[in-house]
Amino acid sequence: MPTNHVLAFADRMQAAASAAPTAPVERDLHLVVFELGAEEYAVPIAMVREVVRVADITRVPNAPPHIRGVMNLRGRILPVVEIRTRLGLEANELTPNSRVVVADVRNRTLGCLVDRVVQVMRLAESQVVPPPDEVRSSAGDAITGVGRRGDRLLMLLELERTLHGEA
Amino acid sequence: MTSQEHPFAALLADYVAECLPLAEDVLERAIALERTWAGGEEGADLYQPLKGLLHTIKGNSAMMGLAPAQELAHSLEDLTGLLVEAPARRSDGIDLLVQGTGLLVDQVRGAELGEVANPSEYIESLRAYLERSADLPSEATTVERRTEDRRATGDGGGHAIVRVDAQRLDALLETFGEAMIAQAGLRDAVKAMTHGRRRTKEEAALDRAALTLDRTLERLERALMETRLLPIATVFGRFTRLVRDLARDEGKRVRLEVAGGDTRLDKTLIDRLGEPLVHLITNAIIHGIEPTADRIALGKPEEAVITLCAVQRGDRVILTVGDDGRGLDPERILLKARALGVAAASETPSLEEVYAMAFLPGLSTADRVSSLSGRGVGLDVVAGSIRALGGHVTVGSEPGRGTLFTLRLPLTVAVLRSLLVEVDNERYAVPLADVAETVRINGAVVRQVAGQGMMTWRDEVIPVLDGGRVLGGEAGSGPRRYCVILRASTRHRGLLVDTLLGHQDVVVKALDPALGRPATVAATTILGDGRVACILDTGRIAEGLIEIGAR
Repeated sequence: MPTNHVLAFADRMQAAASAAPTAPVERDLHLVVFELGAEEYAVPIAMVREVVRVADITRVPNAPPHIRGVMNLRGRILPVVEIRTRLGLEANELTPNSRVVVADVRNRTLGCLVDRVVQVMRLAESQVVPPPDEVRSSAGDAITGVGRRGDRLLMLLELERTLHGEA
Repeated sequence: MTSQEHPFAALLADYVAECLPLAEDVLERAIALERTWAGGEEGADLYQPLKGLLHTIKGNSAMMGLAPAQELAHSLEDLTGLLVEAPARRSDGIDLLVQGTGLLVDQVRGAELGEVANPSEYIESLRAYLERSADLPSEATTVERRTEDRRATGDGGGHAIVRVDAQRLDALLETFGEAMIAQAGLRDAVKAMTHGRRRTKEEAALDRAALTLDRTLERLERALMETRLLPIATVFGRFTRLVRDLARDEGKRVRLEVAGGDTRLDKTLIDRLGEPLVHLITNAIIHGIEPTADRIALGKPEEAVITLCAVQRGDRVILTVGDDGRGLDPERILLKARALGVAAASETPSLEEVYAMAFLPGLSTADRVSSLSGRGVGLDVVAGSIRALGGHVTVGSEPGRGTLFTLRLPLTVAVLRSLLVEVDNERYAVPLADVAETVRINGAVVRQVAGQGMMTWRDEVIPVLDGGRVLGGEAGSGPRRYCVILRASTRHRGLLVDTLLGHQDVVVKALDPALGRPATVAATTILGDGRVACILDTGRIAEGLIEIGAR
């Protein structure tokens, strides 16, 4: 039976995987890297549903300040968060490179406006160090770690915390 | 308890008088069906009225808090539906039907005496039978569908009942909403294409096709809404018990009188209407109705009456909640409004305006007796939840005679007739129900009186607010050429906008929680060109004007 064959194979794979932890753990972070101003930031790809071009964003009067507005994502109304202002940066004009990173945060789907999406990459967890104090003070606790991409620094962003403290 | 002392004795007698003949009719029909079906005939004329009869008995039983009778009637409705749809089940199902309708007659007849065995055993075996016979969806709404086409169902035609999962109905509505948006897009595109010149033959044909589609969608909308309508008795039903229990706790005698329970409303509204109505009724019993001793001293009937009425007027449903208690004290409301700074000491508002103030946060008169019970909810909460349903609430009162709350609700919450306006290059939808008129203005019409814009409209001086300022932008930055006169509960108020873009039915999409609770926006919608627009909370904008006007 082909099904049994597949199941047996899966069992073997699982056994192999669970045997592995005897060696030192080297886990990879799978990240989406994007730009905000001059810096590069990254979020785990598992949170990201998709990256879309910026459609018309409608301003919502009297909405919280970190909400840029709402946009139509295939018939669904998506709130778009201005993460720049949450990180102490000035809000920006949209450019042709601007993208909305659609992410699942706390069981809600939100769009995060970024200046440019750079790449999707893997980064060994051991390459990540805690953020230096000056980063922490400017961005609150939203930066959970700093990694390296080539000769550039990569700020690991906790999206949930960028929204924390909202009214 | 003898029937004379029963607080609902009169109502119970009415219930029996109305329902017993119906229940007996049901039993007779069931017995006749047994014979007819045994003879291999359809007997459609016998079973067609059954569902209606059972439905009425169910509704009335629910209103009286007679759960066993209600449940029994409900189960029998399901059984009837099954037997009508599946002739193969008739031979073994008819016996259950006859047995059950017999029990129903007993239930109704025994209601006045309060001594009748609970038919739970029968209901259980019936449920088991129904489950064996059909896979019923767990959360289902019964939808009545009249099969108009008699040819399709043979000789009798009929009144077949289909059970539909409520979530499927919601999904259907959502899809319909998308079709509406696409249609609006098509209409706009056709208009833009032929703008300012004579149309070619092909374009005219396209235009006609778009128009036909428009009308078809309109009919589809009506049909779809129809499937979502449920009798309001399903909410009213739960108040009988509430009134009795709460009145007993308070040591008061209160009777609930219900009318118009067969008025139908969208399922979503029915689901969400319960809470505000519970608040209003609770407030009436705790705060509105005087203690029995006071009532006797005042020469009022010892037993107080709370009325709950529903009636349909066009595409709105009017609901009233009344009591014959002490009424609201306008003096007190005004004093408090002044203390809170929402009314200027110099102003002498009309009685109507004072009552409207009762719905402002922190102003409900509930505090008057809160030391006694600590219960009851502010009227601002009630007004807020009614507004969230696209309706609004007003109150009238006669001191010493009673209070009457009037709730005006749309039949449906999904599609909103609205006026599209533009302010500072953003488009907004204004609920048409709140628009009294639109006026083209020139700057001189609006005068600034102590920082507040005022204008004369139909011999009335009304406050006017700049759309840009209300909507969080710059005051007067755009060319405000039009004034939308909003129908507020007390007096009219104007909202200055740049352009009017015409009437449009928009599909209401709830605000995402991430947007917080913006003061001026009730919901969002997607327009024909795919852009999102905010639907204005005209009720709250008018309230804002009260505050601004008072400062």
